[in-house]
Amino acid sequence: MTGEGTKAASAITVLPPTIIMAIYGLWVINKAGGLVYQRSFADGLAQLTSNEYLVLAGTLHGIHAITSRLSPMGSSSGAQVIEGESFKMTILLTPTGTKFVLLTSPAETSAEATLQKVYEVYADDVMKNPFHTPEMPIRSERFDSRIGILIGNGLTTV
Amino acid sequence: MTIHSLYIFDRHCTCVYYQDWHRTRRPKPAAEGGLLPAVSQDVSAKSATGSNPNSNRNTLTSNTGIVVAVNEQPTPNQLLQTTGPPLTSTGLAFDEEAKLVYGVILSLRNMVRKLSGKDDEQFLGYRTNTYKLHLFETASGYKLVMLTDPNITDNLRLVLRQIYLGPFLEYVTRNPLSTMDSKEFGIDNEYFRQSIHNMVSGLTGFN
Repeated sequence: MTGEGTKAASAITVLPPTIIMAIYGLWVINKAGGLVYQRSFADGLAQLTSNEYLVLAGTLHGIHAITSRLSPMGSSSGAQVIEGESFKMTILLTPTGTKFVLLTSPAETSAEATLQKVYEVYADDVMKNPFHTPEMPIRSERFDSRIGILIGNGLTTV
Repeated sequence: MTIHSLYIFDRHCTCVYYQDWHRTRRPKPAAEGGLLPAVSQDVSAKSATGSNPNSNRNTLTSNTGIVVAVNEQPTPNQLLQTTGPPLTSTGLAFDEEAKLVYGVILSLRNMVRKLSGKDDEQFLGYRTNTYKLHLFETASGYKLVMLTDPNITDNLRLVLRQIYLGPFLEYVTRNPLSTMDSKEFGIDNEYFRQSIHNMVSGLTGFN
């Protein structure tokens, strides 16, 4: 009885550190501030409705524009990393105004590299797709599956 | 590592204090009535009338090595012109800029809370390619915001906390002449400004 108790206790203390690096979600925001792609990966953040995600993406688009105006030193790109206590948002702004946003754990180090790969997949499978309407929601199975392969379940196996 | 500016907002969403150190893009002075008195002589509409030796304007002048005529009382516009070519304007009046800063931190705080699903989730700050914003919020609703170089590695929230625990408590909270929460006055005073300046300029790499 007591042996089982200590086993359970040690399992609880060992588990948490293995999930430090996690990717929670990916957003693609078009140049007008509309959310054209949203996908969740690892658990850890609140599950919101698609409408709430749309509102948040629009807000982020506006805030991003303001952050580039607030620069105390020369012109600025706007926010690249937004940090909270339990997660961070990494933003990649393309020259055409499309924003790729990756929601990860604060310790995640590969967020920029992952976003760059997502951008490549987007260029190959969305922009080169003759059936895709620019600035409209992304409905491409190929894009979906390649993002799935790239990010997987969002948990980095260390 | 460079520290650019410090804003303090009270719980009524108003900017009650402002100080800056190295800024090449400066806001225009606030519009008349747009900013509370005693926030910062540097950016308020009547900035030029004060010739206080401890004022931030003089601090800034000695740092950038540009001489501003002290005996004259230039209008705010002349003041901006005499500061020389390295300084450009953001094109925003200071009161507008302060509102934008407050709007950004409030919106981001709400967004971070909503995304995390936790009511006590703190928004820590954000980074762009030219600056980084750090936020420290006190239990009484004061928000201390610091803009620094993006490559800063130190945790500036600790410094903001030190500013709150040190100069703020000593020269604002314990100051019988300082009217906190009044919605009519800022919290600027010479001792507060000077001790923040001493604290910030003593940070490693402040230049």
